[in-house]
Parts: sequence; structure tokens; C-alpha cells
Amino acid sequence: MTTSMNVTVQEAWSRLVAAAMLGTDRRDPPDPSDVIAGLIADVVDDTVRSSPSERMLAQVAAMVAVRRAGVLPGPVLPRAAGPPPDSRPVCIPAATDRWHHLVSSWPVLEDEWMLTLIANGWRLPPELIPEVLARHRRDPIRRARAEVAGGPLVGWLVGHLPAFAAPQASNARLDPSAEAIGELPALPIPPDLEPLLRAPGSETARALVGGLASGALGISHRAVLVNLLSRMRSDALVEVATALQHVDPSSVGYPLASVLEDLARTRHRMLDELLTTPQT
Amino acid sequence: MASWSLEQVEAIAPTPAAFTAARPLATPTRWVGLGADGEALWGSCRGSGAEPYDTIVDHVGVGFSCTCPSRRRPCKHAIALLLLWANGQIADTLAPPSVAAWLAARKVSDTRRVSDTTTTSTPSEPTPTRDSIPAEEVPSGEAGEDRAPGVVVSDAVGEVSDTAPDEIGETPDRDRARNERVERMFAGLAELDRWLDDRMRTGLADPALASYGTWDQLAARLVDAQAGSLANRIRRLAGLVGASPGWHSDVLAELGLLHLLSQAGRRLGSLPGPLADAVATTVGWQVRQADVLGGVPDTDEWVVAGRSDTREDRIEVRRHWLRGQRSGRWALVLSFAAYRQSLDTSLVVGTSVAADLHRYPGPALRALVGERHADPIDPARSPSVDIATACDEVGSMLVAEPWLDRIPFTASAAVAVDGARFVLVDGTGSLPLLGGGRPFATLLAVAGGGVVDVTCEWTPHGVVPLTIHLADRSIDWGPGADDSFVSAA
Repeated sequence: MTTSMNVTVQEAWSRLVAAAMLGTDRRDPPDPSDVIAGLIADVVDDTVRSSPSERMLAQVAAMVAVRRAGVLPGPVLPRAAGPPPDSRPVCIPAATDRWHHLVSSWPVLEDEWMLTLIANGWRLPPELIPEVLARHRRDPIRRARAEVAGGPLVGWLVGHLPAFAAPQASNARLDPSAEAIGELPALPIPPDLEPLLRAPGSETARALVGGLASGALGISHRAVLVNLLSRMRSDALVEVATALQHVDPSSVGYPLASVLEDLARTRHRMLDELLTTPQT
Repeated sequence: MASWSLEQVEAIAPTPAAFTAARPLATPTRWVGLGADGEALWGSCRGSGAEPYDTIVDHVGVGFSCTCPSRRRPCKHAIALLLLWANGQIADTLAPPSVAAWLAARKVSDTRRVSDTTTTSTPSEPTPTRDSIPAEEVPSGEAGEDRAPGVVVSDAVGEVSDTAPDEIGETPDRDRARNERVERMFAGLAELDRWLDDRMRTGLADPALASYGTWDQLAARLVDAQAGSLANRIRRLAGLVGASPGWHSDVLAELGLLHLLSQAGRRLGSLPGPLADAVATTVGWQVRQADVLGGVPDTDEWVVAGRSDTREDRIEVRRHWLRGQRSGRWALVLSFAAYRQSLDTSLVVGTSVAADLHRYPGPALRALVGERHADPIDPARSPSVDIATACDEVGSMLVAEPWLDRIPFTASAAVAVDGARFVLVDGTGSLPLLGGGRPFATLLAVAGGGVVDVTCEWTPHGVVPLTIHLADRSIDWGPGADDSFVSAA
């Protein structure tokens, strides 16, 4: 947009800013006829406004209105080239929602979520990639998993936004082995509970409910019980969750039973969502 | 001297919202000159106004006096004073002369029992104070402290109260109060223009601009002048000083808009109706919620196209951008939350809801949600336009109201690199994207070099992406509220 004096609006505005920096006590405002033409000049060219500061204010207000209303698109630019294609399907939205739930409530399940996703041929939804990369920026193993799960899009994104690259700290440069990337990390589970990892659901349920009811398992065992339910055989989860659901609400073990039931059901649903066959 | 119970204090509050608003003030650090005796409580509450509010409560005859601009009685300051007393946080002392004089005056006029500053109920049998109190518009007061869930208040397009029409007092009182308020507002606008004139004279290089007090004092005077929206604008403007290399230009532009508003506000009577409405609400004139809801509804399938949360002073403001699927018209639904309150979660981005919207006077986008005719439908997408059309839409709205700071649009566009910045681009042009970080990375990752439908807010500084609309879902990536401040899930 230009005025009749062939001064662009931007140039005219720059003159006003320069004058406003010093103030009209030290410098008169630009002559409106120099910088503003047409209807705006009529608005500003108001003899009622006697003082330089009033004339300056009028010019500024008129020019701001013009600049704002004149929203114009910038030049047409070439789009950013896309990432190399990834033939894997994006995991279902329910699985994406589950990931958000896991990281806020059951982060102990996040590794299994990611590995199951990879193993079953899904890929990370694009909207999750920046969040996962930021979350595991300093963890080489989990970041490597995220790169596998995100596919070529990860490298493409980092190319555009280097802030999402792995840090150059010494621990981040460690090249994790393929085994480390593909294996679930071991969780501490006491020897007396270890047999329950492979036990049928009925046996695990009986042991947990009995222990909670008798007080043999209490809040001090919470961490190891969480580990147990995070690693026990997946086909036992529903039975264990159902048994925990029926713990007497008046018993001392009820609060912990409720927490563990939620974990068991969350893990069951997580696996259910990720073990479905991708439709390519 | 037995103090009231908390239940008695709660019972005397005109609304639950008033009681909620009083709670944050019921702390001794907010008060000076606290005292109590066998008849009264008194103290001065420090607010965001230039002067503290002097509050007196007659706890025997049950009456209230406060210098705050609120016309609701008891105001939140009086309720807060009672709460302090109920909690044993006010010591007995001798009443100062001003309190004694007020009590004496009350006794003289006891036969009237009802006045602008007193109620006649007793704490054990509280008469609904609304019946006797002209509770017209709730003034902006202390930048939102009168706000509570259900009381929707806007800094950008006016303010409303939750008071129903039948709660209005007698017409002469109302007219007098309105006239007084108009006078105060006009005086405030005149003072604003003098202040702007000073800025032009001394220049933007004046070191005084770097002091927050320079801005805050003006804002406080505008609060007192019932121009709370302008006061908020001044406080936001203070944050621009020194904030970027080009801050002089940003500040000068905002000063120009303030001049535009002050000039327009002082000429309301000669402006065309819709423009006058827009100016009045932008300056801070209040529109009662009941009046808005009483207007003709705008019925449509409203797509909740985007959401953005911003902290303004001590209030978290949530903007929901709705677009009519049939009309293509935009609407803005605001909600507010103070510390530990909850923002509106009833509108979910990516859904559509068949509902009546009731628009505020003038060309403003702002509306209230009225009756909802069905459950929300998920997923729903906002109709999209190209970049050039989006610029036309934004420009048209800015022609009508140059002071708008945020304008929505939904465009089908790709992401491109323009030097060091990213832009939305299609075959008709480009628009610079504002900000960075994870939300921007999300847009880039989802677009992946292709075209996506994205709902954005235009701002004077660039375009802020809020929502990415995919075939099966929408990704809400608008700026979010601080979870440690308010509940915003």
C-alpha cells in the first residue's frame, strides 16, 4: 500500500515511530501531507488539534487503523518438503489417549506401550512425536525407541527444529544396543512375589487379595506390587483386576486394592488397543 | 462481643459468587486499620484501585458502607470484613470518628432502613438483599475480583453481571447511578487522553515508561473511572515496554488505539448504534448477562473450532472460538477463573453443538451460550478458507473494530520456511506463524509438508495456531492455562 506521495505505509509508520521516540517537545510530528494521503489526511488535518502532541496522536491513531485493516497475505512460498514416507499405520486414537493417561498416572507402563506399538507395526501419531522427544530428550534408550516408533518423521522434524535434537551431553551420545532398545527394563520384584509373574490369574488374584485382606501386603508394598502388575503375564490381568475390585471396601487393604485394580485394567486396555492388527 | 458464625456471613452474601469473591480478601494482609467494637467493624482494603476501599459493617443493625464502586450490598469487602471477624482476626478497639459518624447517621435515618448503602436484614434471618438494592451493572472494580464461575466478565468486550432484570432497584436510583457512572467514565477517558498527550510530548524514550508505576497508576485511575477494560489494556501495554527490539512500534500502535477508543468513547452519542455499542463495551461499559440472554438467539450447529487461555492480571481468561456450520459466522465465548477456580470445560474443541448463542450488542464476536438443543457431535470441523480469504475476513473485522487483538480463522494451508521463521502458506499467499516450542512443532509434524486445516488466532504480532483438524479428530494445541493456578482440564 502506498500513499500519493509514493511513501509506503510502512515508511510512514517508521517516521512516526522515530518522531514518537523523541517526543513532540523536541521534534514536531511529521507533516501529515508528507506521509498520509486521502481520507486519512482529512482526518488528521484537523485545525481543532492545535498542539503538536495532539496532531501526533491523531496521526498515530489513523495510521494504526489503516495498518491493521490492511492485512495482506505475504508472498506465496514453496511448502516445506515432506518427510520420507512411512508405510506403517498410525496407532488408533484410543492408544494415543492411553499414552497421555499413562504418562500422567502410570509412567511405569510407558516402556511397554512404546515397545508393543513398535512390535505390532504401528507408528507414533505425528502429534505425539514432539512430546515424546521432549520427554525423553536425555534418555538415549527411550529416545531411540521414539525414533523407531516415529519413523522418518522424527529426523525430518529435528532437521527443521534442532531444539528437538538429542543433547550433546556425554550420556546422550551413548549408543544404546538393539537389545536395550527392544527389552523392557527390569523392575525390582522381591523373590517371594516373583513366582506370581508367571502364575495363572486365579493364583495371583488369590495371593494379592489374601495378602491385602490379612494385612500381609500393605501400602509399604505398593511399589513392588505396581512392578508386579506391570510385568505379570498379560492374560492374567482381567482376573486379577476383577478380584481386586471385590476387596471389601471396609478392609484396610481396600485403598491399595483400588489403585492396583486401576493399574491392571489400564495395562489390559493398553495392550488391547495396541495388539489389534493394523489395517494398512 | 460474640462474632457472627461463618454460616451467618454466608447467609448475608447476596449471591454465592459474592461470598466466593470475598474469600481471597479475608486475610489481614490485605487490610489496614482493622478494628471492631460492640457495634461495628471497619478497615481499609487494598485493591487495584488508586485508593484503598474504606469499609464499615454495622453488625448489630446490619448495614454496610464501602467506598468501592460495586453497587452490590454487601460488597465483597464487607463480606470479607465479616469473615475476618468471624475467624477472630479483628481485635477490639475504639472506633475512629468516621465510623462513629457513620453509625450516628444510620441511627438518625433508621426509620428509612433502606438506603444505597445499608440492608435491614439480620444475620439469622437474612432478607434477600437483592430486593432492596439497586444491583445494576457490577462494575469492573478490582480487575475481576467480582468475577466468579457463572459471572462472565470480559476485559476485551465489556463486562456483565449475573443480576437479573427483576433485581433492579427503582428507576430514579438506577438512572442516577447510570449518569454518575457515565460521568466518571467520561472523566476517565479525558484523563486517559491527557496522559497519552503527555506520552507524545515526552516521547517513548522517556525513562518513566520503564517504570510499571507509570502505567499502573493510570490503570488504577481508570478502574476507579469504571473503565476497567481500558485499565487491563494499559497493564498489558506496560508489559510491551522493552519486551522486544521493536517495542517502540508496538507501544506506539497501542497508544494510538487507546487514543482512538478515548476519542470514540467521549463521542458515543454521535456514533452509529453498533459502533457505539462496540466502543462502550470495549471501554468497559457493562452489559447485563440477562439482557444478552434476552436477545434474539443465533441458532446453529456451532463447531468449537479453537481454544486459547491467557493470564490477564490475576485472572485466567479462556477463549472458545465457535463457528456456525450454516452461517459461517464466528463467535467468541469467554470464561474466567481466579486462583484455584475452574475454567469452563463444557465446550470441547473438535465437537459441534446445536445451540442458541446470544450475541453482545454491536458487531462484537462475543456471545453467551444459551439453550443447547442436543449433545455435542464428535468429530466436527470448522469450514476452512484459503489464506487470502482469511486475510480478507480478518481485515473486515478490523475495519469494524480496529482495537480487536485476536481474530479467528480456519485455513487449509501447509507450513513453509521463510528465512528464520515459519509461515502458513497456500497458493494465495502466506501468513507468519507466531511462537515456537511444542505446539508449533506439533503443527509441523502433523502437516509434514502437506496441507492441513488449522484454526488460528490472528494477532497484531503474528498468527497463533490453536487447533489442527484431522479427518477423525482435532488436536487442541492452543495456549493452555497454568494448572497450578486454575483447574483447566
